Amino acid sequence: MLDFPKTLHQLHLFEEDDVFYAADLDKARVVEISAVMVDILKLAETQTNEGIVQTLKTAYIEDDISEAFERLEELDKEGLLFNRGENLTETLALESDRRKLLVAIPGISVDSFFDIETLYAGTNMALSYMFQHLTEYVDLHFAGNRNRKLADNVYEVDISVSDFDRLSRSISETYFGILTLHRDHETWLLPLYQYTELPPMLVQCHAPRGHGGKAINSMLRHYAAMRDFDAFTAPSDYVREFYANYVWDASFFNTLPNGVDSALFCPMDKVKAKKELAEEVRDDRIMTLPTVGYLSRVQSEKGASVYLKLAELNPHLLFLIAGPHFGRYQSRELPDNLVYAGFHPREKLPLVYNAFDVYCFLSMSGEETFGLTVLEAMACGVPPIVPNFDGVPSVVGDAGLIADADNFDHDIGTLVSYPSPVDFSDKINLLLNDDSMRQTLSQKARERALSFTWDKTARRIIQFFEDLHQKRQLVSPNTLINVFALNPIDVESALIGEELVDQAPHRLRCKSIVLSMNEHYERCLMRDTMYPQRIEEGLVLSLLKNHTVREAEAFLTAIVEDETQAKAILQRVQTLIHATA
Amino acid sequence: MGTNTSYRLNRHYRFEKGSRKYVADIDTNDIIQVNDVEWEILDRYGTQTKHQIVEGLKEKYKIASIFDGIERLERLGQQGLLLSPIDEATAQTTDNWNQMDRKPKLLVPFHFAKEKTLLDYTTNLNRYQLLTSLAQFADLETLTFSETEDYNHEQEIFKDFGDIRIRIIETEESNTFSTPWYVTDEYDGILLLSQFLTDDPLYYRVPNIPIVHCIEGGQKLQGSLLEILPTLCAFQRANDTLAVKASWMKKWLDELGVREGSVHVIPDGINVVKSIGKSLAKQHTAALFDKPILAQQPVVGLISGFEPNYGAKLISEFAYANPHLAIFVYDPFLAVHYTNPPNNVVIYSADDEETHSVLPIFFQALDLVCFPAIPRTPLSLVLEAMAYGAPCVAMTKYGLPPEVEGAGAVVKSEGHGFGNFRVPISELSDTVNQWLKPSPVRTECENVARSLAQKFNWEKIAQEIVQLFKVVYQQKVNVPTTKSALFPSIFCRRYDLGTGIIASSVYRVGPNRYEHLETALVEMLAERHTSTEINAVFKHFRWETFAS
Repeated sequence: MLDFPKTLHQLHLFEEDDVFYAADLDKARVVEISAVMVDILKLAETQTNEGIVQTLKTAYIEDDISEAFERLEELDKEGLLFNRGENLTETLALESDRRKLLVAIPGISVDSFFDIETLYAGTNMALSYMFQHLTEYVDLHFAGNRNRKLADNVYEVDISVSDFDRLSRSISETYFGILTLHRDHETWLLPLYQYTELPPMLVQCHAPRGHGGKAINSMLRHYAAMRDFDAFTAPSDYVREFYANYVWDASFFNTLPNGVDSALFCPMDKVKAKKELAEEVRDDRIMTLPTVGYLSRVQSEKGASVYLKLAELNPHLLFLIAGPHFGRYQSRELPDNLVYAGFHPREKLPLVYNAFDVYCFLSMSGEETFGLTVLEAMACGVPPIVPNFDGVPSVVGDAGLIADADNFDHDIGTLVSYPSPVDFSDKINLLLNDDSMRQTLSQKARERALSFTWDKTARRIIQFFEDLHQKRQLVSPNTLINVFALNPIDVESALIGEELVDQAPHRLRCKSIVLSMNEHYERCLMRDTMYPQRIEEGLVLSLLKNHTVREAEAFLTAIVEDETQAKAILQRVQTLIHATA
Repeated sequence: MGTNTSYRLNRHYRFEKGSRKYVADIDTNDIIQVNDVEWEILDRYGTQTKHQIVEGLKEKYKIASIFDGIERLERLGQQGLLLSPIDEATAQTTDNWNQMDRKPKLLVPFHFAKEKTLLDYTTNLNRYQLLTSLAQFADLETLTFSETEDYNHEQEIFKDFGDIRIRIIETEESNTFSTPWYVTDEYDGILLLSQFLTDDPLYYRVPNIPIVHCIEGGQKLQGSLLEILPTLCAFQRANDTLAVKASWMKKWLDELGVREGSVHVIPDGINVVKSIGKSLAKQHTAALFDKPILAQQPVVGLISGFEPNYGAKLISEFAYANPHLAIFVYDPFLAVHYTNPPNNVVIYSADDEETHSVLPIFFQALDLVCFPAIPRTPLSLVLEAMAYGAPCVAMTKYGLPPEVEGAGAVVKSEGHGFGNFRVPISELSDTVNQWLKPSPVRTECENVARSLAQKFNWEKIAQEIVQLFKVVYQQKVNVPTTKSALFPSIFCRRYDLGTGIIASSVYRVGPNRYEHLETALVEMLAERHTSTEINAVFKHFRWETFAS
């Protein structure tokens, strides 16, 4: 039963052809309602259920009133008519002059981003930090299913991603941009690129390949469908370089490095840290033996099996594993020098890192665009050893060691890399046997980590959105008209005797002609002229009416063999559109 | 704009809330926020044409923003909001001249002054006669712009055509509209006569007004026709018609794969003067050319449409093979350039009123008319030459053209393009000589030839053209419309897990699956291009044709 008084959505009640309707502006939906419902809605914000019944019972029979209440309850369940949660209009009015970003990540509970202990996936952890720092510059509105304030400058708003299309204009009036996360299986985002009114969308990408090819295919679809003023971000240059092999315009991939909380993750007294962990794990060897650290899920894709091999190769060292659980390795005969150091809450992680003499990062998952744990270890002054694979080396720079890995660059669907156990082993021993090298790298690691701040990340995001707004202003409408006509010379030769046709298979070539008048009946080219162009150019010109430049790129790749030529075609057509706009 | 889809407005309700304007689509239960110009467009959408909407609002809003508004609304329509796509047929204005029992109002946009010098005399004359006759059955109007320098000159020219109204359009400095814009709202049809691919094809972008484009077979147009025809065919929409002057032009276009039903044969009318008698005509002809053979021997008329080099060769071969015949050739090009033909040959062309006035005398002197049934041969001259009672021998690969049915015979030719006509001289000589002999068949053919004048008179021709516009209106209901795809497609690259290859593909949003590139391409092209164009594109790439 609905509990009146209730705050209503922005409603407009009207009658058309003897039928009453309520236009719900917050949901961009119209619902047919009865006369009783109209009167109830008029009283809804000020009166209680009893009050409403009292007021209306002279005009309507009781059954009609209760039926109306039932129907309103149904509509409320559908999220219509009534405000869900707080009255944001009032709450927001105070801070209305701040820029607002709409964050749309369906499927992940908004609360989880603000309760960091519930997160253990690196991506979500990174997002959580990023959001917190973004609030310095913008208000964040998470698309959800009720209105409420989550924290200072952070709100959940009752806007479902399925309403974005109908609400496109009000979204564009309210929001500076839409921030979202790329995931392989999503279906909501792709159709939205068609709505030119929606503000720029920044799509965060954390896994450019892997997942049986699903990741790259999804990325390629988004790349093609995106408007000229949308873009991806990825934590390291590697993603842009990776896609530069597959697409023409790698500028759609922007590097957005993660940051690290360098106040939390900082060097501690190593002996003390080791002692504390040794006591906790009940293994004194942590205090006596050189330690190698691994902090991740214990799975093959994260390099767990390589780590096991490293332990076997180096019985004189202690290999610590910190992760949620031991996974399938639980049932194995494990080497004695491999120690499970348990799962730790976030605030305890600095202690764990500090108990490592070197940090080993072995992931071969194909989605390691950054390696947040490497940065955390570095912030704690622990020198990392990472495979020469994906984005992680760019985080490490010269503040750690890069070990060999077999990279399967052409297999982007499944297995993508295998870190060399021998080289890793060599590098671990090199570092553990050379105190001065370890010290130098430890210092460098801390220094380098300090340059990765979440504030920088947040400012970069704002800058990206500003750049995208600028790009949006550079978009030219394509109103040119072109026609495909057969080439007269071919027409003649095709009409020569049949014998000739048999010798040279019947082939008619076609050209495109651009008219001097555009779709708005303007003379956009010189007087009395029709401009002939190659058929490929004409097809691209037609395609660019309803499709993106990136789609034209995919299309040209299919029909023009020589890439240089294909790129030149695209450039010519784009120039023509810009010049005649 | 510019797409092949028309829309109607859904049942809707408009309201303002705060400072914002909204439209509630009662059919789909959606609400769309609109701006001021879109709000006003909705007032007019469905009851007014785009032309009326823009003209009505252009004082208040920038023209570009009116177009933008219409485009946004139609984009919403594509996505099923506010507007729904409708059949082209019901999109037509109900003001059908056919039912209203009035003459159709036809626009004849025509650069008279400019084209006159480019066409040969007889083509110009035919055009004049066509327009004069047409004015009896239709209200003809042409456009002229007040800033045009040769405005007075144009008016002079139109004086000749008497009944053509001149619509003067005052163009302002700021006005950027192209000519077809002024046509968008006024006419029942457009009659295009130009052959030069200047501004004329732009009229094909005027929505919902059928076009009849008359294609000349004039000899002076030899070179450009080849370029013009395939282009014009590409421009033609379902309701447009190419009117060609001879059946062999249609055959030629059929071979080119031009859409069936879009080409109609409407020959020019012919002018026949009172006969002075054959022997007198022969004597006059012989005197005028100073060639006694024209009075002494049988005279064969050759109305040529040949490529000049081939024409000269054929004429000389035929003339040497038949020294006993006098040969009268009508060919504007050879008349100037073929200076030393064999002795038994004269070449003539009418280039002005004076030279044209003697043509009937020469035609009356003919015993047989010979012609190649190819695009450049002017049918009206063939018929005029025959109309005094001369049977014909047609050189063709198709069989005797229906225009001269029952009035002659055929010599089979090979090749039929513009420069590849071949006919065996011996066969041509045999047929010609046989047909020069008196016989009951020949007599019958002579009688048929004499009746041609009644069959091809200008009044009839003008009525046929009006009829073409009428037929288009009646057929409109049967025009299939392009339905845009339910789900959008994305052209993108795709990684194939099995082969590791990245190739271009198309992803259909909605069903979420990959599809053939060609399917999406046809779909994309169908939005803005005709099926003729799509076929041309597919032939070019040798893809299978999806369009039909």
